[in-house]
Amino acid sequence: MTESAAFLTALRLSDSMLPVGTYTASYGIEQYLNEGRIETTGDLADLVAGYLRGIVGPAETVALGCAHRSAAAGDLDGVLAADERLAASTLPAEFRESSTKAGGKLLDLLADADGPFEGAAGDELVEEYAAALDAGETAGHYPVILGLLCQRAGIGRREAALVGAYSTVTGLLGAAQRLGRFGHTEIQSALSGLFPTIEAVCDRYHDADLEAMCSFAPLADVMGMRHERADRRLFMS
Amino acid sequence: MGHRDVATVGLGGPVGSGKTAMVKRLVPRLDDAGYNVGVIANDIMTQADAEQLQASFEGRLPEDLVAGVETGACPHTGIREDPSMNLAKIDEFTERHPDLDVVLVESGGDNLAATFNPELADYFMFVISVAEGDDIPAKRGPGVTQADLLVINKKDLAPYVDADLDLMERDSERVRGEEPTVFTNCKTEEGIDEVVDLIERSVLFA
Ligand SMILES: Nc1nc2c(ncn2[C@@H]2O[C@H](COP(=O)(O)OP(=O)(O)O)[C@@H](O)[C@H]2O)c(=O)[nH]1
Ligand SMILES: [Mg+2]
Repeated sequence: MTESAAFLTALRLSDSMLPVGTYTASYGIEQYLNEGRIETTGDLADLVAGYLRGIVGPAETVALGCAHRSAAAGDLDGVLAADERLAASTLPAEFRESSTKAGGKLLDLLADADGPFEGAAGDELVEEYAAALDAGETAGHYPVILGLLCQRAGIGRREAALVGAYSTVTGLLGAAQRLGRFGHTEIQSALSGLFPTIEAVCDRYHDADLEAMCSFAPLADVMGMRHERADRRLFMS
Repeated sequence: MGHRDVATVGLGGPVGSGKTAMVKRLVPRLDDAGYNVGVIANDIMTQADAEQLQASFEGRLPEDLVAGVETGACPHTGIREDPSMNLAKIDEFTERHPDLDVVLVESGGDNLAATFNPELADYFMFVISVAEGDDIPAKRGPGVTQADLLVINKKDLAPYVDADLDLMERDSERVRGEEPTVFTNCKTEEGIDEVVDLIERSVLFA
C-alpha cells in the first residue's frame, strides 16, 4: 500500500497546476500541426503512442528509473549519469531546453529551504545534485529530477514512471488541444486509449539499466528541429 | 544574481490596448534616466514579431535584453499561475547583465481577468484603451481592480468611439480606491511621464 502522503505527492506531481512551465512545451506537436500532419484525434493518439514507445519509455523512463534507483542508494554519480545519457539521447535542442528548464524549476521548488517540498530541503543528495546543476556539471533533465524527487517522497519506482509518462502524455495532448481543434471528450477518450501503452512502457523500462537507454522517433526529432525555425510558434518546443 | 534582485514591471491588458506602444515609450525614458532595462514580450508569435521588437530598441538595448517568451497558447498562465518561464528568462538576463535594474514584462493580450503573479511583477500595470468601451472600469475585472496602476490609453480616440472619459475616471476611482489611474496617448506621449514617475517612485527608488 502506498502511503497517503506519497500518493498525494504523486497526484501533485502529475497535476498541471505544478508550476514548472510544462505547458510551454509541445515537444514537436506544434510542428506536426503546423505542417498539417495531424488531422483527427485518432492521428493524435497514434502519434502520442509513438512518443511513448520511441522516447518516453526507452529514454525518459529509463532515466527516471535510474535516477530513482541511484537516489535510493545515495549514489549521486548514478543520478548524474542518467542526466548525461538522457541529454545525449535527446537530439532536438528545444526538447533538451524544455526538459532542463522544467527540471530546473522542479528542483527550485524541491531544494528551496522555504519552498513547498520542505522534506527534501536539507537532503544531502538533493543539495549535492543542486550544486552540480548550479556549477553547470549536469543538465537537470525533468525525468531525472522527477525520479529523484519521487524516490525521496516515498513513491515507488514503477509509480514514479507512471507519473512521468502520464504527465508527458497529458502535456502532449494538452498542447495539441490548445493548437488544433479537438473535442474535449475525444481527447479524454484518446487519453484512456493510451493507458495500456503507458502501462506497458513503464513496466518494460522502469527497472532498465542505463546502458539500455535509447531514443528512436526520427520524425519527432525532425519536427523538433524544424520548430526552431518555424515562422509562427506559440510553444518553446 | 537572479530574478529576485531586479525590479520587474508587468504590463497586462487586452489585445491591442497599447501595451507594446507603452513599452516603446517607457524604455527610452528609463534608459535616459540611467536605468539598465530589459524587455520580455509574451505576445511574440511569428519571426517577424520578434525581429520587429528587437529592431524597435536598436541602439538603446542590447539585443540579448529583448526577448520573447512563448506561453504555450496560455497567456494568463504565463503571468499568473505559472510564471516560471518568464522568471527563467529574467534569470538569463541577470546572468549576462548583472547590472540590470528593471525588466518590463509585457503579457500576451488577454481578457479583463488576467493579473500578474506578485512573484513575477513587483509593479503591475493594467493597460486598457478607451476604444474597447467606456464601461470597462465599471465591470470591475480583476486586472482593473488589482493593478498597482491602471492606464487608460488612446485617449485621443475618445471622440470617435463615443467614450466618456469623465465616466471612466469616476468609475476607476470608485473601483480602485486609492490606487492611481492615468490617461495616456501613446502617439503624442501625453501622460507617459506620469507613468514613468509612478514606476520610479514605486519600484526603483524603493
Ligand atoms: N490612436 C492611438 N493609437 C494607439 C495608441 N497606443 C497604441 N496605439 C495603436 O494601437 C495599436 C495596438 O497597439 P499595441 O501597442 O500593439 O497593443 P498591444 O496588443 O496591447 O501590445 C497599434 O496600431 C498602435 O499604434 C494611442 O494612444 N492612440
Ligand atoms: Mg503587444
